[in-house]
Amino acid sequence: MLFFYLLATLTVLGALGATLMKNLIHCALCLILFFLGIATFYILLGAEFIAAVQILIYVGAVATLVLFAIMLTQNVVGETTLKGLGQNRWWALGLTAAVIGILGSAIHHQRFSAASYAGRLTTQEIGQALVVVYALPFEVVSLLLTGAMIGAIVIAMEDRKKKQ
Amino acid sequence: MELIDQLFVLLKQAILKTSESFLPPVFLPFLSILISITAIALFAPLTMMYLTWLERKVIARMQNRFGPNRVGIYGLLQPIADGIKMLTKEDVVPLGADRVVHFLAPVAVVVPSLLLFSVLPFGRGMTAVNLDIGLLFFIAVSSIGTLAIFMGGWASRNKFSLLGAMRALAQMISYEVPLVLSVVPVVMMTGTLSTQKIVEAQAGWRGFHWYLFTPWGVVGFLIFFICSVSEVNRTPFDIPEGESEIVAGFHTEYSGMKFALFYMAEFLGAFAYSALGATLFLGGWQGPLLPSWLWFGLKTFFLVFVMIWLRGTFPRLRVDQLMSYAWKFLLPMALVNILAAGIWHYLSFPLSLIVSASVLLIGFIALSRLAPTGTRLEKRVYRYAE
Amino acid sequence: MSFLYAKRYPLYAKEQLMLGLGIAKGMIVTLKQFIESYTKKGSIFTVQYPEERKPIAEAFRNFPILVYDETPEDPRCVACDICAKECPPKCITIVRDRDEQGRGLQKPKLFDIDVSVCMSCGICEEVCPFDAIYMDKEFELSAYNRMHSLNFHQEQLLRPNSYFHKIRPTDAAQIDAKRKEKEKAKNTQPGTTA
Repeated sequence: MLFFYLLATLTVLGALGATLMKNLIHCALCLILFFLGIATFYILLGAEFIAAVQILIYVGAVATLVLFAIMLTQNVVGETTLKGLGQNRWWALGLTAAVIGILGSAIHHQRFSAASYAGRLTTQEIGQALVVVYALPFEVVSLLLTGAMIGAIVIAMEDRKKKQ
Repeated sequence: MELIDQLFVLLKQAILKTSESFLPPVFLPFLSILISITAIALFAPLTMMYLTWLERKVIARMQNRFGPNRVGIYGLLQPIADGIKMLTKEDVVPLGADRVVHFLAPVAVVVPSLLLFSVLPFGRGMTAVNLDIGLLFFIAVSSIGTLAIFMGGWASRNKFSLLGAMRALAQMISYEVPLVLSVVPVVMMTGTLSTQKIVEAQAGWRGFHWYLFTPWGVVGFLIFFICSVSEVNRTPFDIPEGESEIVAGFHTEYSGMKFALFYMAEFLGAFAYSALGATLFLGGWQGPLLPSWLWFGLKTFFLVFVMIWLRGTFPRLRVDQLMSYAWKFLLPMALVNILAAGIWHYLSFPLSLIVSASVLLIGFIALSRLAPTGTRLEKRVYRYAE
Repeated sequence: MSFLYAKRYPLYAKEQLMLGLGIAKGMIVTLKQFIESYTKKGSIFTVQYPEERKPIAEAFRNFPILVYDETPEDPRCVACDICAKECPPKCITIVRDRDEQGRGLQKPKLFDIDVSVCMSCGICEEVCPFDAIYMDKEFELSAYNRMHSLNFHQEQLLRPNSYFHKIRPTDAAQIDAKRKEKEKAKNTQPGTTA
């Protein structure tokens, strides 16, 4: 239990830092802390495969992508989000409170049934589920990823063709 | 023989038994992990120090000169002298640098490199943490180190550092893909991601069951080794920290202990990847006469020697050559390797050997035809000028 | 004008066969050097400096010394001041010795050479008409301070003729033969004895 609270504090600090910091790189690093925190939650829940994949994908690839994107922006050190909003600050806070209220009450009133799967989910079972039970979504997702990659290559290549 | 082989395991059990008497049982798992952690934390920096010694001596011998041989006999105290020198250097932080990130970057590079040691099977029953997903953990954690290099490069507020960091990031991401793909056949054949079970699956038959002795194993090992040399930023792939290229790349603005930490992370990574290569393809701690941890050490040091040998032999690859090598050659080759591994599994010997070897050869020939590397001087023809 | 450029083309089959062989050949060369550095005698040609030294050539010159024939109180130098005048960086300081009446003696009272200024050109040796100053070969002369330790006085500069023979045998032999001839010529010439 103690571990959960410690890790939850770290994760929430990371999330807060990702939104409230002045320097965009610091925001990205807090986001990485947040992802690592989520990975530790997965470990606490016993889903270690998901935790490792979370680190591999989110920290290894998505955070890198975020950092590349920050590299290409101009004002890396700016004002905090709250200060930058100015007059609209109160609208933003109000809307945020409303969203938190709605989501919180929805989660609170939901009755989560006890987990129907007793025991730990091993990698082997995940793999079998992916190719036996959920084979069609798996193939559709891979087609989608291939389409995304080809689209990215086409977008990146277009400039060169135009120059020639 | 059993005693020497299981020396460290018996030692740990002895410590646990003696502390059972005066510790409440709730602390025992923590103590067990603490012993493993202490062993790794003592072993890893010591290994790194003597790897730097080994590298300097071996490269010097390849270049027809002695290595360090003044400090202690054969220069064995040289790493200690280096450590003292690094500790007494002034810690220079550039004026406009981001102090927090600049401070955290070396730490964030070393921590994943140390974490890698926890899933390596050092001997029979001597894995520090026997995870079911050991291999995936290894690869996931090593991708965190990439980000720390970027942190170091950005925080230095130096154009060369930033350029080095970007190149490091691009290089490490693009070589991670063939790395993972080359490991997939091993996982396919063993059916598990646990490093300990992978070593145990290579037992028997006087060493001929090592995955190195299969067609897909040879190609997989070569791809894995090349990608691991690139993941730890060693020559010939050390564009990010090339000494004559880009001042010193992402660790230009680091002095003293911080630089030593970056250096330590590189060597720890080299050792860990060599150890993983020995585990996956060379049979881990399997071997006839010597104790298991000694075999593991010998195989790992052999691979580290090959890495040092590569450093002493080759010039650095240019960054575009590096990237095209990864994406245009290694990645398709790794995919063909997976196909060959599948064929090997489903056919029976000797047909499996012939067919999978020929699939790999066809793949290699096709890919090398596609990579236009020959150059000849030709007269340029201008369409409208003549 | 025709410009040549490096056109890239897909490899010929023969070149394809050799892929990877370049890497292997390079690695074998390095491995051979590595093994030979242990087994072959002269493959590492580093001179481990303080323990081993390479022999110095005879004509090597570094800093000057004063030569005396019999006793250190009687050097060949007569304090003529030619070497001090010819020295390019002016590192030699000479003060002629005077006897009780104030008349000049034919030997120097003060002969200082500042070796941190001396540029080892050897001009002082070439212009001395009395074969008194020659270039020595000592180069391990590190000191902790410049003004005190690197300003050599007459006592530090004097060396016997035997030392001169030891460091430069052929030159010393020639100089000695020349001096003997001059002695003989002086003694046999009529009317020179006072």
